Amino acid sequence: MSNSTRPKIAAVVTTYFKYSHAQHIVDRFLDGYGWNGTHHYPPMDLVSLYVDQIGRTDLSRERGSRHPSVKLSPTIADALTLGGDRLAVDGVVLVGEHGNYPRNEKGQTKYPRYEFFEQIAGVYRSSNRAVPLFSDKHLSWNWEWARKMYDTSRELKFAFMAGSSLPVTWRTPSVEMPLGARISEALCVGYGGVDSYDFHALETLQCMVERRHGGESGVEWVQAYRGDRFWEALREGVWPRALMDAALSRSHTITPARPGFNNVLPADADLPRLVKDPVAYRYQHADGLKCTMILLNGLVKDFTFAAYVNGSREPWSTQMYLPMPDGRTTLADFFSPQVNNVEKMFLTGKAAYPVERTLLTTGLTAAGVESLFREQKRYDTPHLAIRYQPVKESTYWRT
Amino acid sequence: MLTRRAFLQTPALAAAAPQAGAPKRLAIVTTIYRYLSHGQHMGDRFLVGYPYGGAWQRPNIKVVSLYVDQKPEGDLSGERAREFGFTVYPTIAEALRCGGSKLAVDAVLVIGEHGNYPRNDKGQILYPRYEFFEQCVKVFEADGRAVPVFNDKHLSYSFEKAKAMVDFSRRLRFPMLGGSSIPVTWRLPSIDLPPACEIEAALMVGVGGSDAMDFHAFEGLQCMVERRRGGETGVKAVQLLDGDAVWKALADGRIPKDLLTAALSRSDTPLGLTVTDGRTQDLVASGELQKLVAKPAAYFIEYSDGLKATMLMLDGAVKDFNFAARLKGSPPLWSTQFLLTPEPNVTYSACLMHKAGQMFESGVAPYPIERTLLTSGMLESCLTSKVQDHKRIETPHLGVTYKPPKESQFART
Repeated sequence: MSNSTRPKIAAVVTTYFKYSHAQHIVDRFLDGYGWNGTHHYPPMDLVSLYVDQIGRTDLSRERGSRHPSVKLSPTIADALTLGGDRLAVDGVVLVGEHGNYPRNEKGQTKYPRYEFFEQIAGVYRSSNRAVPLFSDKHLSWNWEWARKMYDTSRELKFAFMAGSSLPVTWRTPSVEMPLGARISEALCVGYGGVDSYDFHALETLQCMVERRHGGESGVEWVQAYRGDRFWEALREGVWPRALMDAALSRSHTITPARPGFNNVLPADADLPRLVKDPVAYRYQHADGLKCTMILLNGLVKDFTFAAYVNGSREPWSTQMYLPMPDGRTTLADFFSPQVNNVEKMFLTGKAAYPVERTLLTTGLTAAGVESLFREQKRYDTPHLAIRYQPVKESTYWRT
Repeated sequence: MLTRRAFLQTPALAAAAPQAGAPKRLAIVTTIYRYLSHGQHMGDRFLVGYPYGGAWQRPNIKVVSLYVDQKPEGDLSGERAREFGFTVYPTIAEALRCGGSKLAVDAVLVIGEHGNYPRNDKGQILYPRYEFFEQCVKVFEADGRAVPVFNDKHLSYSFEKAKAMVDFSRRLRFPMLGGSSIPVTWRLPSIDLPPACEIEAALMVGVGGSDAMDFHAFEGLQCMVERRRGGETGVKAVQLLDGDAVWKALADGRIPKDLLTAALSRSDTPLGLTVTDGRTQDLVASGELQKLVAKPAAYFIEYSDGLKATMLMLDGAVKDFNFAARLKGSPPLWSTQFLLTPEPNVTYSACLMHKAGQMFESGVAPYPIERTLLTSGMLESCLTSKVQDHKRIETPHLGVTYKPPKESQFART
């Protein structure tokens, strides 16, 4: 473990309990994970851990005692400097998910990702050295702060990766959007809450549509639909119903609409009974592509994608498969490809996929929340004129 | 009853072919039809459709009759018949003839799983699959026409009976398909062994009781190894070990540790410390495996061409089905998880019924019934080894040879 050529990694997290994001991510650095048919140990050392909230269910102390080479740091600066006065690690993992943080009037949980980032960047600045950083999930609940995080990463010239595990998990079927595809409409059906799983669904959409002809051109407006307005939009065909049905046909978790049946496609009349709080964000990219993010809590517990591609009238679809430890599995193994991609960044100094994807989905999440807050009015997003090109290589789990 | 000669001369097969566009008429013959029984979740696919290939499939197949052997509490057969406009008949012959005097269906779906049936001294449940099948065959013979039959799971608890079923289908020349959903469900990763590969060793991990879930594990193993160079050559000997003898076989290297690690690396369901605090685990290297599995069982298969395979039932360690093999060439280790999608949708059974429906519509079985004939026999002989003091049993009767399907058959589109 003292091999000095191995990168040293610091982890900065909000909280560390069973099945929290920090546990899923940091544990994979400490205890390894199944990868490519073996139990893989990342070729790097997680040397320090800062935990913001240590509660009754905390596991960081257990991890620290089992891995005594990990320094349990009282501050973020300490984790990055290992108690010295200069940056002493080669990479940083920031996990600002879970823990008790206040919500604002728009329902956003004010996870301190930006605040943690600022402290990390502060050490980078004072040390005149910046190292690769991974930030879990969206960059911040606050768009301006997210943009600042991105700008700081460019200013200080460090590799920066972020986002959800949805873009990198297994797919059933195991397919990739052809690079340069012409996409006219795309849609994701998912589940979960606003300012939470909506982000995962937006990342699901974005990792696919960013591969279209011309690459990403940014988003011009977002329109949210919720409750009765959602049902109205569904009836009016605001988004292509055939794509929604194609996505549902990729689901493994449709709640049966009728007792005694285990797997039926719900009829329109069944939907309001099964889905109590439907949410959709419909948005238009600068190049004209329209996308729809749909949360159907009560109907499904997975994330599925469908699109019209290259002029075909047959929907192109897949499921971003999450082995979810909600009774279905015991390990949230979709964190394995995420950690594996982060490892690659720590080894190469280059992000495995563009952080602009997550900058855009961060902005889309906030814009969806904003549209909901403004009584479901269309919200123009000139600030989301984010243009970028995807990586050619697929980065999702397929080996 | 018609003689074989008379049967083969009858023009009924061609004459009775339905006109293009008319739905195929399907009879379902099942032990029970209760929520989440195989009869229900497989039979219902032909009533309400099913998800496959990115669309809700509604095959051009109409269920016209049902025979159900037992009607326990929760029986749904009458309800389904009323809603979907078919009849529940008191005998299999009547179901196949739809109450008339001649075979009146184009296909038969036999689901002999679940229900209250006795077990024998080897622990095998005596599901009446052979008996159901034989009654179908009697109708085919008497009426001079035979139609495709799908038989869920192993053909029979008895290899002799299983063999007789396959012989019936050959003699009367009707297509037959059977087995588990495991070979046709999604795989993580989405791989098949390369055609004509050279396999040095293969290992399968399964969970659940015998003789239900060990059969599924065997089908997972067999659908992979049948792709090796030369195709399937049959099995010459088997042995079943349980308890500490399994750990000894692991320590001795008879169970390849690298393959076990590879298979378990594909699992999303390690138990023990993962359940306690969420951590990832290398169950083999840590020694936790032995602590977690109170009743391990190892089924050793020696194939006629020399390949040795191990199937492990590791209740307590994981809850999913995983495979690993060592091939000559690069990369040496291949491994995957057979994804058993969650209840209640169990979409893996939609994958299997899609294959059954393909056969019903095309008259061609998409993969050979010999696979399931062999796995039925492997399982029976392993359970014989178990009750005969775990001795190695030579299996000259399992010289089942066949070629794998050219196209991969698992869900991948």
